[in-house]
Amino acid sequence: MGRLKQRYAYAIILLKQLVRTDFRLRYQGSFLGYLWSLLRPLLLFFILYVVFAKFLRVGDRIPNYPVYLLLGIVLWNYFVEVTSGSISSIVGRGDLLRKINFPKYVIVLAGSVSALINLSINFLVIIVFMLITGVDISRYVVFAPLILLELFVFSLSLAFFLSALFVRFRDINYIWEVMLQGAFYATPILYPLTLIPHKAAMILMLNPVAQMIQDLRYMLVTPQTQTINQIFGTQWIRLFPVALTLLFAYFSSSYFRKHSKYFAEEV
Amino acid sequence: MSQVENVIEVKGVYKDFQLPHEKTSSVKGIFTTLLQSNALRHKETQHALKDINFHVKKGEFFGIVGRNGSGKSTLLKILAGIYQANKGGIKVSGKLVPFIELGVGFNPELTGRENVYLNGALLGFSRQEVDAMYQDIVDFAEIEKFMDQKLKNYSSGMQVRLAFSIATRAKADILLIDEVLAVGDADFQRKCFDYFQKLKGNGTTVVFVTHDMNAVREYCDRAILIEKNEIVAAGNSDEVATKYTRMFIEDASTEKKTKRKLKAMG
Repeated sequence: MGRLKQRYAYAIILLKQLVRTDFRLRYQGSFLGYLWSLLRPLLLFFILYVVFAKFLRVGDRIPNYPVYLLLGIVLWNYFVEVTSGSISSIVGRGDLLRKINFPKYVIVLAGSVSALINLSINFLVIIVFMLITGVDISRYVVFAPLILLELFVFSLSLAFFLSALFVRFRDINYIWEVMLQGAFYATPILYPLTLIPHKAAMILMLNPVAQMIQDLRYMLVTPQTQTINQIFGTQWIRLFPVALTLLFAYFSSSYFRKHSKYFAEEV
Repeated sequence: MSQVENVIEVKGVYKDFQLPHEKTSSVKGIFTTLLQSNALRHKETQHALKDINFHVKKGEFFGIVGRNGSGKSTLLKILAGIYQANKGGIKVSGKLVPFIELGVGFNPELTGRENVYLNGALLGFSRQEVDAMYQDIVDFAEIEKFMDQKLKNYSSGMQVRLAFSIATRAKADILLIDEVLAVGDADFQRKCFDYFQKLKGNGTTVVFVTHDMNAVREYCDRAILIEKNEIVAAGNSDEVATKYTRMFIEDASTEKKTKRKLKAMG
């Protein structure tokens, strides 16, 4: 344990400092400062709620639709923040890379940790909403930390891959932006899965982010929503997103490690 | 003296940079390059270092001199682990801290105080460690009352003083220093030299890249001269410094000759 600590001592010092700096700089000069961490998802939620719950009435059959919607948006925003935020993180630190040798993964990890802190702040708002509306918490809630871990690993893996790829191919950020826009609608965030054909629902649920959002909604908000195993009618299907996440994690970390040696020369 | 261990060993190091004329950094670029045949691809190999061999002994003050673009900085970056050599081996034993530039990671939007912690972290100091030496750093830099102002409001001299002040606190077995003395007023330069004297005293190994031959003569035990990516002289720092200076005098005289010739022809 001591040896392990020593080996990663530098990385840990650097990680803490980068996260701290990121928070210092994030809302600098803005009047409301850190409050924006809460206000942003709340305002977005308000817009979507008015459009989808009041006008389009897509969530009429879901109990506690507002909390259901807010949870989905907050989780999705975390995914977006980690992945899009990371893309230019390596290139953006090019100046540093050329001056000193340090473990490059710390840069990407720091972005991910900052987003995680943001997610926790957002969860405080969600908990308040949960208390007000009196949601139906499932006993499966004990598995919620596992799902959050899955989300953390999945997003971070993509972040590693995208940031390393961006060093060579500067089109990636535009491609990813469009893909995220598409994925937002291809993920059951705004609408219930019952609204779309079963076959389509099966395809959509193969997306790990969709699986995670639906699982957490099931656990925290209402059992009257569909999780991946209900759509497929078997528990075994749960192995698919987990395997995909692990595969991604393995592939991106090895890709990142292989290329990180040359970041200083290529950025 | 003969049994002092080598803390840096560089053996047969080569470094090439592949410089494509049209850098493929877009997806369209990949497709067009994929379609082109090998012969059409314009990639220029630039040799930055050729067959570099030297070693540095523990506690030595080692100079690297050479003109701009000769490959000094590339060599320093390879020693620091920032660049990877194409061929050859490098062995470094002990904690190495590079000062390719002072104030690495300095952010103009942060206050002086916050920058001390950020720069400290990059040099490997935890918050507690920086806490312990914070007052010392501020005193040495002599900018106490500016510490809570944003760095962008500092004069460049103040920034350098702060950066240098942190750097001098870095505990390292080996220090790589790249032309940091080019800035600062006379008073500050004197401080730098005092610091070098101290380094020499406590047995820190220093690899020092500079254009200041007086500094080479005064501080370096040994030196190498790099010219056109190769080592052309190595050994006693006095001789290396003389050779470096002569190189420029020769250049200047040939230049004069050609000019005179051109004039005569014109």
